[in-house]
Amino acid sequence: MSIVTVQLGQCGNQIGFEVFDALLRDSQSSHGLCCKRENEAYQASCKERFFSEEENGVPIARAVLVDMEPKVINQTLSKAAQSGRWKYGQHACFCQKQGSGNNWAYGYSVHGPRHEESIMNLIRKEVEKCDSFSGFFIIMSMAGGTGSGIGAFVTQNLQDQYSNSLKMNQIIWPYGTGEVIVQNYNSILTLSHLYRSSDALLVHENDAVHKICAKLMNIKQISFSDINQVLAHQLGSVFQPTYSAESSFHYRRNPLEGFKDPALYTSWLEPVNAFNVWKTQRAFSKYEKSAVLVSNSQFLVKPLDMIVGKAWNMFASKAYIHQYTKFGIEEEDFLDSFTSLEQVVASYCNL
Amino acid sequence: MRGRRVGAAGARAIAGVSRSLPSDHSPRSSGRAKFDRPDDSAPWQLLLPRALPIPAGKRLASIALGKAALPALCFARANPRAALPAAGSVGWLLRAEDLCPRQMLPDPSGPLGDEMTVWGQCDALASLGPPAPHMETEGPVDVRHVQWLMGKLRFRWRQLVSSQQEQCALLSKIHLYTHGCHSDQSLGHLSVTEAEMLRDPEGGQQLLRTLEQENRRLEAVLAWRRTELVFWQWMDTVLGTCAPEAPAAASQPTFLPWVPECGDGELELVVRELQTLEEELREAAERRRVAWEAKARGCGRGPEWSATRRASQETVEKELGALQRRWEQDSGPAQAHGPHRLVRREDGAAGDRDLRAAELIRTLRSQEACLEAMLRQLQGQCRQELARVAGALPGLIWIPPPGR
Repeated sequence: MSIVTVQLGQCGNQIGFEVFDALLRDSQSSHGLCCKRENEAYQASCKERFFSEEENGVPIARAVLVDMEPKVINQTLSKAAQSGRWKYGQHACFCQKQGSGNNWAYGYSVHGPRHEESIMNLIRKEVEKCDSFSGFFIIMSMAGGTGSGIGAFVTQNLQDQYSNSLKMNQIIWPYGTGEVIVQNYNSILTLSHLYRSSDALLVHENDAVHKICAKLMNIKQISFSDINQVLAHQLGSVFQPTYSAESSFHYRRNPLEGFKDPALYTSWLEPVNAFNVWKTQRAFSKYEKSAVLVSNSQFLVKPLDMIVGKAWNMFASKAYIHQYTKFGIEEEDFLDSFTSLEQVVASYCNL
Repeated sequence: MRGRRVGAAGARAIAGVSRSLPSDHSPRSSGRAKFDRPDDSAPWQLLLPRALPIPAGKRLASIALGKAALPALCFARANPRAALPAAGSVGWLLRAEDLCPRQMLPDPSGPLGDEMTVWGQCDALASLGPPAPHMETEGPVDVRHVQWLMGKLRFRWRQLVSSQQEQCALLSKIHLYTHGCHSDQSLGHLSVTEAEMLRDPEGGQQLLRTLEQENRRLEAVLAWRRTELVFWQWMDTVLGTCAPEAPAAASQPTFLPWVPECGDGELELVVRELQTLEEELREAAERRRVAWEAKARGCGRGPEWSATRRASQETVEKELGALQRRWEQDSGPAQAHGPHRLVRREDGAAGDRDLRAAELIRTLRSQEACLEAMLRQLQGQCRQELARVAGALPGLIWIPPPGR
């Protein structure tokens, strides 16, 4: 069962590269503690999921790259090709020249509709290449303009055109003290739109990953590359082929199905339904043992609340709103977003 | 061996039952196993539900028997030295219902990929029926739990769709690749089952053996059916000779006292009580009906009533019209029912009894449209109801969740 990845914006493309790299490296390294047959099954499962084969044996990532500036995409493509171990498809990227100016409205209302057909065509070609298609994995950030705006637009389109497929959005939560002034606006608009059209939102906070780099890995000068690699490692272990419940000889067919149960340990849900465990024989990436926890919990309430609060303060003083109304995002849209996010916060608080 | 001898017919009956068991269990060995290892009750679990459709003459509606009861009756006579296990566990409940031969067959060895059963139109829709709005509310239902269940349902549905798509792609490949391989020219390509049998002849042999086994068991069921009565007559004699020994059978308290002690006196009492109850119910129902009729007649006037009546008349007429149209559409080409096989043909030629996939798709689509209309109507009703409830509470603001 194959997943098609859509990498959007600078953040999405950089992280996407690291994820594919980590996945392939893990699958190709043979694990000492497992038998040969196990290793081969693991490798085959992983490759089938994220890569397709080319004639000369170099796996091609099942990905579509989208950005409104050429620089990052070109870097990503060349890094992959240089590694020699895998690469992106030749025509798998869509690129423009002028950028989105960190403006969600520009990404959503201008770039999105303008390039909708080309982007959806690329995605469709990737889907058709899959023998058995299981869903989409969309990597984007919330704070910028391309990843967030176009990401929201594309996710909505995918919901319309592939309504029976599962979609998971990987969202990068910006630093609390981020550099983009309107990042809070971009964030709330993104979240409220994605909440309606996506099936699962997997969140990585820059602040949290930064702390991991600093405290656990003792990196002095933390660069985005370090952060991305940690992120990719986490994501890679999430996507490891795991045994399905039925048999321990077949890897779970659809990796996205696991997330679909929001793992809520609450009063109204039995723990047996709330907690799902998937096992695999080998640990990720040369570790002897590894475990990964994906949780849908109240952890996100505080950061979400903070962002909504800051955005609201800005909105109350109408700061920078004209930049959005210029491109068709009206004040009502902002208010709608606030309402939905307040509902989300309330429902999480009331768990 | 006490009691009447079984006789040839009875022996045939018992043999029929035993043949209908899975081949690796024979009653005698199972019986011995039963008595040696009380936990090995599996063969008896198989035997009991099949062997006890109560014949018409003995209307014992439900009998609760201990695990060892009837088999002990059957085989203790044959093996008087066998010790009966101590009863203690609650037995099974046996109802007087007909033995369905299908219940005796093992599950088919997996669904056959490109073969399916065509339902008559009315069958398919009728089997859905109007949704009975009965909810077992054992207390307040948490709406979050319902939302969670909806989410789970949504995702299971999608998984189903994607695995079905995968299956269709595979079927298509098999049909394409095996084009020209079939000896039957009108078919042209192999079906999944045929391809699988070629690929794995041993599996095909196994399938054949399973089918033959099923056939044998079916025949055994039929034989049992023919000789059932004889068996029960024999059982009668066994029970008859059993009764006078009841006081001496103090070590077998579980089963013996049950059957004979349903004395006539008690039975009569029960029958009388039932009759009184029936009478009371009938009176109560009559009273209710009269009251309702009076009420209905009373509110048979007024503009509201006639408006409602008109509305329901219109709905009924509309539905009737739709049904009639559907019947007229389908009465044209003769619809074949039953199992069909998927064949891919380039030239589009079709025989008399063949169904075109396009037509079937069209039919299914119209059914889908009907169901969707029904769904929308029900959703509208729900929304109206919610609005009414919300409106009744002052100060309540109802914000519907973001629609999908």
